[in-house]
Amino acid sequence: MITQPAVGGADSELVSASWTQPEAFSALFDRYSAMLYRYVSRRLGPEPAEDLVGETFLVAFSRRKSYDLAYADARPWLFGILTKLISRHHRSEAARYRTLLRAPVDQDVESPADRVAAGVTAQAARGKLAGALAALPAKDRDVLLLIAWGDLTYEEVATALGIPVGTVRSRLNRGRRKVRAALGDTNPMLEEE
Amino acid sequence: MMDDLDLLRDFGRELEHEPPATLARQRDRHLRVRPRRRWTGWWTAGLVAVATALAVAVPAVLVGGRAPAPPSAGGVGAVDVSGALNVLLIGSDTRDGDGNARYGPRMRGAGARSDSIVIVHLPADRGRATAVSVPRDSMVPIPRCGSSPARTDMINSAYDTGGASCLRTALEKLTGLRIAHTVEVDFTGFKSMVDALGGVEVTLPRAVDDRASKLRLPAGKSMLNGEAALGYARLRHYGDGSDVARIKRQAQLLRAMLDKVKTAAADPQRLRAFLGEVRAAVRTDLDLEAMYQLADGLRQTSVTFVTVPYAPHPRDRNRLQWKQPEARRLFDGLR
Repeated sequence: MITQPAVGGADSELVSASWTQPEAFSALFDRYSAMLYRYVSRRLGPEPAEDLVGETFLVAFSRRKSYDLAYADARPWLFGILTKLISRHHRSEAARYRTLLRAPVDQDVESPADRVAAGVTAQAARGKLAGALAALPAKDRDVLLLIAWGDLTYEEVATALGIPVGTVRSRLNRGRRKVRAALGDTNPMLEEE
Repeated sequence: MMDDLDLLRDFGRELEHEPPATLARQRDRHLRVRPRRRWTGWWTAGLVAVATALAVAVPAVLVGGRAPAPPSAGGVGAVDVSGALNVLLIGSDTRDGDGNARYGPRMRGAGARSDSIVIVHLPADRGRATAVSVPRDSMVPIPRCGSSPARTDMINSAYDTGGASCLRTALEKLTGLRIAHTVEVDFTGFKSMVDALGGVEVTLPRAVDDRASKLRLPAGKSMLNGEAALGYARLRHYGDGSDVARIKRQAQLLRAMLDKVKTAAADPQRLRAFLGEVRAAVRTDLDLEAMYQLADGLRQTSVTFVTVPYAPHPRDRNRLQWKQPEARRLFDGLR
């Protein structure tokens, strides 16, 4: 997932500018709405994504005054809000993964070229991954996907979810262990650490 | 070598969708819909309650107790007040006219502002009326009316420049509701209605000595005449000085008035006098006959007070804008 580079100052500057000029907040939308959209579209599909992204910025805007300006990067903050919003859809998220377990992913959906080499392995693993994600407890899934799909660091996930880094690590490890277990029988290469 | 995270990332890419162009619609949502914040004009809601009670609930209770002989039909132009009905109530802050100047002499000639604007919706079965108060500082599109051009401005400017009929036109356009009648009450009208009731009794936790409203009252029970009741309704520097406390005082006043009305309703003589007073105290296109019919139909009606969902205006803290789609939904529900 590609993160847009920061143009025209840190996110925190935009947030503080929006305290007095609400319009400034739209720049934050320009910066991150596409990124957040892609992330939600992975977890919940494209239908609810648009509204959830809009709602994320709405919630963020209403809390802009409590934003800690020490954080130059607003992504963890936005992902944190988005994660909360996604949690209302946990049931449909799990249902979505279960559907993917049965039906193959539509190959007409754009597939980046750099993916082709690994494509074969990935396709074999897809059903198992979907099954593992569907079965994961919501909290572990949040952490795992914020790292794998949201490209956040451990520290950023901790900030996003308001939990200690140690908790991020333990949830991630638990999540990965289950994913590996699901993949295990077909992919012995995954033994590591 | 692919590890589980790589496989997961790959899987994610397959599931990903590119944002559609319509995502842009969400861009400025925060400018349209913003969190509710305490607004200093809150007290209007209280005045609104009083005005509504005076213009609708009071006659309703009056007639509900013991109906006076209905005045003879108004001949030509008798108004049909059956069926679902929307009535616009305007609490005006005019300082012009008899007696009003004392409540702000320097503002004399400054025109009338609608201090409180309420749309009272009466369903056809009259079971449950809804009084929707419209914050006067709402920035809204105002259609051309009389000599004033179409513009976006505060809703009460429609009244200021064009009177009740222009305000009515603007609101009909905004809400999609047909507003059948208007009722205007000003400071003097409020006063004379209280006086017609023989005053109202309130109980005060501590004495009032307010220079702004020229009101002095001892702690404990007091009988307020029209003048004092108005001062009490407008009182700001008392208690914790909050708008909420003020609204509570206005509600207290309202209850006291309704109690008084119920007592008065037992005496047909006083009742008739009061109804005539109400008619004289308000400016309305409803004649006495129509008011009577309306009031008669409202005997069992309960009134729900709501305010148009609003948020601070993005360009001006001291202005408001209607929250959409909530506001639209509210008015759609009244159709």
